[in-house]
Amino acid sequence: MVLLPLPEGAEKMTIFPDVDALMREEVCSKFNGMWVQCVVFWKGIQPTSAMNIIETQSLSKFYGKERGITDVTISVKQGEIFGFIGPNGAGKSTTIRTLLGLLAPSSGEAKLFGQSILENGHELRRRIGYLPSEVDYYAEMTSRELLEYHANIYGLENAGEKIRELAHYFELDLDRPIADLSFGNKKKCAIIQSVVHEPELLILDEPTSGLDPLMQNRFFELLESRNAKGATIFFSSHILSEIQRLCDSAAIIRGGEITAVEDITTLLAKQMKKVRLVLESDAKVELPEGAQNQEWLGNKVLFDYVGPTKDLLQWLGRQEVVDLTLSEPDLESIFMNYYRR
Amino acid sequence: MNAVLFTKELKRNRKNTLIWTAIVLAFTLMILSIYPSFSHMGEDMVKLMSSLPEEYAKAFGMDEATWSSIIGFYATYYGIYITLLMGIYTASTGATIIGKEERDGTAEFLLTRPISRGSVAGTKLAVLGALFIIVYLVQTLVAVIGMNLFGSEIAWEAMVAMHIHGFFLIAFFTAAGVLMGSFLSVKLNYMGPIVGMIFGSYFLNAIASASDAVDWLAYLSPYHYLPLTLDKGSLEPNLLACGVIAAITAMLVWIGYSRYLKRDIIG
Repeated sequence: MVLLPLPEGAEKMTIFPDVDALMREEVCSKFNGMWVQCVVFWKGIQPTSAMNIIETQSLSKFYGKERGITDVTISVKQGEIFGFIGPNGAGKSTTIRTLLGLLAPSSGEAKLFGQSILENGHELRRRIGYLPSEVDYYAEMTSRELLEYHANIYGLENAGEKIRELAHYFELDLDRPIADLSFGNKKKCAIIQSVVHEPELLILDEPTSGLDPLMQNRFFELLESRNAKGATIFFSSHILSEIQRLCDSAAIIRGGEITAVEDITTLLAKQMKKVRLVLESDAKVELPEGAQNQEWLGNKVLFDYVGPTKDLLQWLGRQEVVDLTLSEPDLESIFMNYYRR
Repeated sequence: MNAVLFTKELKRNRKNTLIWTAIVLAFTLMILSIYPSFSHMGEDMVKLMSSLPEEYAKAFGMDEATWSSIIGFYATYYGIYITLLMGIYTASTGATIIGKEERDGTAEFLLTRPISRGSVAGTKLAVLGALFIIVYLVQTLVAVIGMNLFGSEIAWEAMVAMHIHGFFLIAFFTAAGVLMGSFLSVKLNYMGPIVGMIFGSYFLNAIASASDAVDWLAYLSPYHYLPLTLDKGSLEPNLLACGVIAAITAMLVWIGYSRYLKRDIIG
């Protein structure tokens, strides 16, 4: 995100999402120097001037002798949607809990907004919204009571209206006891508590688990809208497609260590696709460059593909294809293929 | 201290406190209500009880005053039942009031709000203190009413001394509960260790009182320093012991509090 310098008296903000570099220049030249603030988003390019909202330096956490995370170094800039991806047990939640001050680091340091959470946690948490992967709330409360309790702790005034709006948006019945809610509905309640105080930083740990596709989509729209207003988002997931959809860049964690920090474009280029083809004839054809692990069964072929999607599509165009399935490999396959140590 | 959390915690502990208060009050009134039937037996009762083994009578603080005045009768059972019950309630609440959030998985919610851990722990300890004082005062009030109902007159000096000692004893057990809760796993059922600690303290003193051979055991029990039973019908407050026990109580709470500030919140 780039904020152009504003002339005196500026008071209006216009948002231009996802413009390419050419259009970005055009938009900027059009508005630069005028009374409109131009906020431009584009993927794959990191702002250089924005401050680090999250910064860890050689952060390690051990539970006794058991490994939690080792030497985790990441930085997330203001306004960025940062993906944090790894298989279950990789250390995602440990990293988040250490960032939030729930766990004390064994070594290294973690800073939010340039300050240590262990020293200034009270004030820093006011600026953070946290969505946990497992939702354990006070079973005896209703969602409304929980969200009002949350709002009271934050000292929010007139939170009732915001809570009602968000509950309506996510179709959550506020008056049912939390104990009676399904996991998906508990998750909706958790989403609302994470955003209702309009935090500058959202830390989301496996946020979509339990949500149906419709609600996932609404949630993503909400995140995009909050990000457009300037919120920084730390998005932990083991689902690559979620990271692809939302994030500007991502860190990959495996076995408690950061394996790679990539912008999404690079990650996409390295991503393997599973291709399942049904051809018109049994004759074996030469597969495109980048195909591996091929398995032929009559006129059907299954293979993994790594390479430009454009090349794969061009190759497919030359084949007599009866049916085609392209699927995302599981995360472990990606790690095994591209991040083998 | 956080007022929002304080109110919520009071509400959260309301049911448990009401149950325990009802039990303590029921015991208090039951004890006092049976005194008239003993006192009507007069000399016969004193003779009957004097036939008890001396060690047994000493162990439970029974002497002639036990049967000849309602305060003596109440003192015997105050030590056996009331302080034990109240101690179990406040110590178990002390052990769980902070750790309950972790055990129920709600600590993550609470500790990611803009409240410092010190404020969370301080508020919960303040709630614990408030509940303890409420139960203590209600029990004292009901005991006074009961003595007026079932006895002739109240020996105020002994009554005040007994309840001052009782206050510091229960406060000590409460602090021990807080300490236990901060060091042991939140998934542990604290009731066993707490009942063991309180009954153990009581019976150490009782055994030491019964036998000169093991009288040194008494030094291990707070009941020795803060006696609850009457000596020849009277009891004076041991203010030095109260001060020392209060200091130990404050230290135990401080250690528990400090430990909580640094503890990892796992689940």
